[in-house]
Amino acid sequence: MNDVLVDVRDVRKDFHVGKITVNALRGLDLEVRKGDFLAIVGPSGSGKTTLLNLIGALDVATGGAVSVFGQDLSALSRRRRAHLRLMSLGFVFQAYNLVPVLTALENVEFVLELQGAGGERRETAMSVLDELSLGELSSRRPNELSGGQQQRVAVARAVAAKPRLVLADEPTANLDSENAEALLRMMRALRDEHDMTFIFSTHDPLVMSYASRVVTLRDGKVISDEQKNSGPDEHRRVN
Amino acid sequence: MAAPSTLRIAWRNLGRNRKRSLLALSAIAIGQFAFLAVAALMNGYGDDFLNSVTGPLVGHIQVHPHEWRDERSIDLVMNDVDAMLAEIRSDPDVAHASARIYAPVLAALTEDGFMSVVVGIDPEAETHDSGLLPAGTPRGSLGDGSVLVGRGFARRYDIVPGMELAVVGQDVDGSIASGLFTVADSVASSVEIVNNLGIVMTLDDARDLLAMSEDAHEIVIHVRNSDVIDDTVSRLSAAPTLAELEVLPWREVVPQIVAMIGMIDAFLMIILGVVFIAAAAGIANTMLMSTFERTHEFGMLLSLGCGPGRLARMITVEAVILGLVGVGIGSALGLVFLLVTSQTGLDYAALGGGDTYEVAFKGLQMATLVHPRLYVSDVAAGVVAVFLTSLLSVIWPIVRIVRLEPMEAMRT
Repeated sequence: MNDVLVDVRDVRKDFHVGKITVNALRGLDLEVRKGDFLAIVGPSGSGKTTLLNLIGALDVATGGAVSVFGQDLSALSRRRRAHLRLMSLGFVFQAYNLVPVLTALENVEFVLELQGAGGERRETAMSVLDELSLGELSSRRPNELSGGQQQRVAVARAVAAKPRLVLADEPTANLDSENAEALLRMMRALRDEHDMTFIFSTHDPLVMSYASRVVTLRDGKVISDEQKNSGPDEHRRVN
Repeated sequence: MAAPSTLRIAWRNLGRNRKRSLLALSAIAIGQFAFLAVAALMNGYGDDFLNSVTGPLVGHIQVHPHEWRDERSIDLVMNDVDAMLAEIRSDPDVAHASARIYAPVLAALTEDGFMSVVVGIDPEAETHDSGLLPAGTPRGSLGDGSVLVGRGFARRYDIVPGMELAVVGQDVDGSIASGLFTVADSVASSVEIVNNLGIVMTLDDARDLLAMSEDAHEIVIHVRNSDVIDDTVSRLSAAPTLAELEVLPWREVVPQIVAMIGMIDAFLMIILGVVFIAAAAGIANTMLMSTFERTHEFGMLLSLGCGPGRLARMITVEAVILGLVGVGIGSALGLVFLLVTSQTGLDYAALGGGDTYEVAFKGLQMATLVHPRLYVSDVAAGVVAVFLTSLLSVIWPIVRIVRLEPMEAMRT
């Protein structure tokens, strides 16, 4: 039971668009365990991103309970949720979302600075970039990087402080298959070497092929939860 | 103290839309330059004006009979002036004290007479920087019937040294006073009555002409430090020899001039207000546009766990950098203007294609040639105004940022 990092119980999330209420999640249950490399899949509007946002303490559920590292998120203030995001979660966004005026190294360093890291943060940031083979790109700004390079830097930023849980929303959506595969290999290696847990929302079959577990949503509910046995060396390319 | 990345991001963000930042910088810089240029000109005028007022015209303190200021009647004299001067000069804060006599007369070179004023002075007592005859003033052999005439007066009536000047007036007893004086030289003065009408002679010559004994109409006092004027007035007012007389600080002698100086300050405040508004408009516009454009980025930063306070600091630092760089450029331009104009002076008349001329106001000569002057406080006023403006102009963007929800902002 101690391995459960995320516990989602009967969660509902409604959005109000004018007079219309959209039920994005309708009593969803999910457990995420330590070391999962979990892909949440489903058609558009199935609730993937909404679920990821609730787990990432970026939004609050309309009903039910979302518990992350044993903390009930609905009981946390806005400030405490921000602190949780900063100190314990890593985020990778679909559109990279690097700070455009900072170099790759500074982007990674920025998160460490937000966390209150001391004078060694530059070395730490550099070592993360080196570990992800991005050292030579460290002095480039986002507009000097390709999409794949930007997304790898975004992953470096997300994992720089060694968070226990990394949430990635459609991380390969803007990448070609070669870059997407390189990114997934990198994240998988991070999971293995640093004991991290990854949750992806995705449409990409490639991500599913790398996932250790695939949860499928439809109409705001889990319709399947498949545990896969493929190890890190058993990936196969899905065309 | 802002974190290193806050400063870095703030600084670099200013380069994201260079045209907009340059426009804002220009507005602030031009505002500060305009303020400094106007302040320098006003200071140049004002300081010359004030130095003349508290210099030869009024001094720091004046002593005269109570009715003198209203009536200027020749028989309203102070008696035993030497004793008064001795008592005044014994005050430790008094630097200079000199008695003066004024009398309206008719003067003539040949047959035609013209209006003039006899100014009786003690040449020794007036030979200091704030006196009527500062060092270097040509004085010829003043005394024993030898007089100086005002430069404007001499120019108007073609009076040259060596000419004889007949003077006719009224003495203190109401009888006809007359005398023949030799012009030793002409003297330029910031005191209008001396420059344009004055026949400057020694106290002894004036007393002989006007049938006065050890009398005078006025004692002009300069103190060592303008901060002690009021204390000195209090002490002198209590002095036995001055008990029956009016002892007034210069501000009470020439309230119109005080009002004019106040007007200069008010004018500068208005200009400062314009700088303030220009800076506020420039910075507020830039920051608002900038924050609206970066809503998605703020959402991303909030998602990463960056607090709203940190974002607010980032915006504030950005605005302050923008303001201070702008005000720095404006200040540099203002100092260049000062360097170029302070030595040679700026001649309004020449700028308009005319010759330098002088006009009089309340007894003072004012030239169209002004030497601009700036004080650290002027530069600081602009810097502080723009700094405060920078802080004020980010209030709205900050309120907006603080209310942002990460996901809503990311959807923007």
